[in-house]
Amino acid sequence: MWNNKIDQTTHTVTCPSCGLSCDDLQIETNNGHLKSMRNGCDKAHAFYQTAFSNIDKSPLIDGTPSSLDEAIERSAELLQESSSPLFAGLATDVNGMRSILSLADCCGATLDHMNGDASLRNLRVVQDSGWFTTTFTEVRNRADLILLVGSQCMERFPRLVERVLHPTETLLDQARERKLVLLGPWGSDPLPEELTHLNTLTIPLDLERLGDAVAMLRALIAGRPVDLDRPDVGDGDGLKALASELKAAKYSVICWSAAEFDLPHSDLLIQGLAELAKELNNESRSAALPLAGTQADITSNQVCTWQLGYPLRTSLQRGYPQHDPHLNRWQDLIERNESDFLLWVSSLSPDASPPPCDLPGVVLGHPGMAFEALPAVYIPVGVPGIDHQGHWYRSDAVCSLPLGKLREIGLPAVSHVVRLLHQKLRSNSACLHGGAAC
Amino acid sequence: MLIKLEGARIYDPANNINGEIGDLYVRDNMIVAKPSDSETIHKTYALAGKIVMAGAIDLHTHIGGGKVNIARTMLPEDQRDNVMPRTELTRSGGGHAAPSTLTAGYRYAEMGYTSCFEPAVLPANARQAHMEMADTPMIDTGGYAMLGNDDLLLQLIAEGAEQQTINDYVAWTLQATQCIGIKVVNPGGINAFKFNQRALDVDDTHPHYQITPREIVTKLSRALHELAVPHPLHVHASNLGVPGNYLSTLATMDAADGLPIHLTHIQFHSYGTEGDRKFSSSAAEIAEAVNKRANVSIDVGQIMFGQTVTISGDTMSQHANHIHAHPNKWTCMDIECEAGCGVVPFRYRDKNFVNALQWAIGLELFLMVDDPWRVFLTTDHPNGAPFTSYPHLIRLLMDRSFRNDLLAEINPDAGSLSHLSSLQREYSLYEIAVMTRAAPARILGLSDRGHLAPGALADITVYHQHEDPQQMFAKPMLVFKAGELIVEEGRISKPVNGTTQVVRPEYDPGIEKQIGRWFERYHTISLPNFAISDDEMAEGIGSPVSVHPCRENRP
Repeated sequence: MWNNKIDQTTHTVTCPSCGLSCDDLQIETNNGHLKSMRNGCDKAHAFYQTAFSNIDKSPLIDGTPSSLDEAIERSAELLQESSSPLFAGLATDVNGMRSILSLADCCGATLDHMNGDASLRNLRVVQDSGWFTTTFTEVRNRADLILLVGSQCMERFPRLVERVLHPTETLLDQARERKLVLLGPWGSDPLPEELTHLNTLTIPLDLERLGDAVAMLRALIAGRPVDLDRPDVGDGDGLKALASELKAAKYSVICWSAAEFDLPHSDLLIQGLAELAKELNNESRSAALPLAGTQADITSNQVCTWQLGYPLRTSLQRGYPQHDPHLNRWQDLIERNESDFLLWVSSLSPDASPPPCDLPGVVLGHPGMAFEALPAVYIPVGVPGIDHQGHWYRSDAVCSLPLGKLREIGLPAVSHVVRLLHQKLRSNSACLHGGAAC
Repeated sequence: MLIKLEGARIYDPANNINGEIGDLYVRDNMIVAKPSDSETIHKTYALAGKIVMAGAIDLHTHIGGGKVNIARTMLPEDQRDNVMPRTELTRSGGGHAAPSTLTAGYRYAEMGYTSCFEPAVLPANARQAHMEMADTPMIDTGGYAMLGNDDLLLQLIAEGAEQQTINDYVAWTLQATQCIGIKVVNPGGINAFKFNQRALDVDDTHPHYQITPREIVTKLSRALHELAVPHPLHVHASNLGVPGNYLSTLATMDAADGLPIHLTHIQFHSYGTEGDRKFSSSAAEIAEAVNKRANVSIDVGQIMFGQTVTISGDTMSQHANHIHAHPNKWTCMDIECEAGCGVVPFRYRDKNFVNALQWAIGLELFLMVDDPWRVFLTTDHPNGAPFTSYPHLIRLLMDRSFRNDLLAEINPDAGSLSHLSSLQREYSLYEIAVMTRAAPARILGLSDRGHLAPGALADITVYHQHEDPQQMFAKPMLVFKAGELIVEEGRISKPVNGTTQVVRPEYDPGIEKQIGRWFERYHTISLPNFAISDDEMAEGIGSPVSVHPCRENRP
């Protein structure tokens, strides 16, 4: 699986366009061009077509084309002048993240992912109380009741129903008659097509009211007295019926995408969902399925956690890791002028460009990236899974899948560029601590 | 490069050397016989009065994989309280119970350890386990793949599959996951918990597959025996932590039908139900059983008092134990129709009756099992305690008066119920060298390490002689890894990276078709993306494999 050969035809391509990481894509290429593609969703098609349509890119220094060496030289100068560098974006593969952490340790950088807000909603629940989760294959074969919270899971993870929630075949009989309950801001629009022929029940509710509804569900399950007519939780009787079904289920799954919950204190909503799953396990079986992983947010957090001991929003400025979900938010560090240099890493999508800001910046970006304001240095990098091999975590943070190489047009991997930058700093004796560890 | 270690007292049990004064020669990465007088020795270390052993080997330590990362994520306080700043030679990190990978590697090397084995590699998570271990510098690593709760194997057994089919599946798993052994955790129990079963004793019937844990242990231990895999089935037995579970442990030993079997962290499986609190030590029964059964080996999983975190594949037990979580947070996970995991932080307190008795039970087991070749020094890091407590544990084993002083401080009811004060045994340096070097190498089939004869890898630890073994073992004078000097006076002097140790028993590749069909029908990963190749290990994951031979006398 792992070599430097280009796969011209393969039937098991892993797609890194969302956290589902479908690995059944059939892709045919011809001398670096995309010839045919099967099994991918619309998102996947857009991902591959965009990447394959972007070629012939050279680095830019202040908008002027340059060689990679010159771009590295200039990046090293800018980084050397910085006393409080920020490394953000961090949409890259495992080896890209490994190289970034090594460089960050050397120059005292602060690290955050572009999806930091969404990731932290889940991570803070793990840090505060833990949770009981499950994985795709488990849900696919075992779940008899799935509670989808919010309304964007299918939009964000397009093949969720086909791959996980309702496959054609399951190992256990109990999963064949499974029911889907949709709790969230489902308006009067018809349900997504893949749900229409399934056994679904919709309980419409605004996002802002989900927290109260989940609290009521927990109270119902615990047998505490509740007022079913409270107007703020919508359909009280519907929730009561849902509570009974959750208790009666053999294996219920509670699924959400934290990115959708863009509202104040949504970590408390997620904590409610996590506690709901935990409490159901007192009598029956249940587990949570938090969906994430898009833009490598799970990948970069996993590597950061094993190497530094903390997930992202961690700073190495003092020479050791310090984690602070509030202080180290990349948007705030830029806005408050608390950083004096930005390394923006975004290798998966042309749209995830850095925010316009006054900081001297180096961008290791997708070859099709468009900028509102050009950074000091732009180094187009290879797309993991297209230009180079790599590893990528899907949503459940258990399975890291291999990404293949589909073309060779000279775009370097993030890991390669960062290592060059690191070497340049070292040869300039500009690492904070010096020594062999640099 | 030829170096000479001159005049140290050598403890090398694999070669029956018990504290004799002698010289060792190292050429490049290997130990060699005394060279001819004409050869130039590039460096001589004068080690009169020092003690030399092979590099230590930990055969059961949770250092890599998803559940360790869950522990790190859940416990930022463990990092915050144990900061490790960057130095000129070493990367920053931190953590005590769940250290960062880099910190774990540095700390192990600084205690003279040169090889460590992660005992619970979930096949679906094997890449991560190897990636974390690749980022654990200084030491060689390896893993045991978890089977025996995967729906595929349970279905095979339930359908009456031939032993040969199971053998092929086991061998394929070792290859696909790049592991050196097979572990079963709470046989069938993790799977039964997914069907809402809360206990599954050795002869209980699984609610869905209608098979027993005994059958799973029998089939898997036979598979490893017939495949000539050196390490016997590594078993975390049924009913972990449950009073009275020593009977399950004895039944599990017998489930191997006389074939080799390793029972891990057996302290947690040696509990009786006597006394007012219905919790007592059954260490004597277990030790007697081990002494009588030559096919059984154990590691202890000693607990130490203080804060740690328990990390286990045993979702059934961990879920039951979450009521003891300290601080009060816990995570469990059902994983990929393979197994699961549970992470529960825990503080063992010396004044707590149960914890104090657990401490005493572990020591009783160490002292009552006669053969040091069949009992291994572990704390089941971090479940009983972090691995950094090994020097303290060694002192407890070597120094009876120290042991009795601490016994006097624990919960008095636990102290008075324990046999510990009556146990006279004190481990010798030779026996410590057996249980931390020679024996783990032998039981893992690693003929290239754990000893100091010519031809061995030059993994060598030099200690200052010290009256207090804790101080001696905490801070070696020198540590060599594959001939390179990596630690001086207990501090890293040269960062290096290790390799991954694996075995490759032969199998009928036809099994892949059968597994492939199962994957296509039920799995969310395709089979070609599941297996890890040697190239991927070396170039992508960053830890090349080193293949160890299977036993020659394949039955």
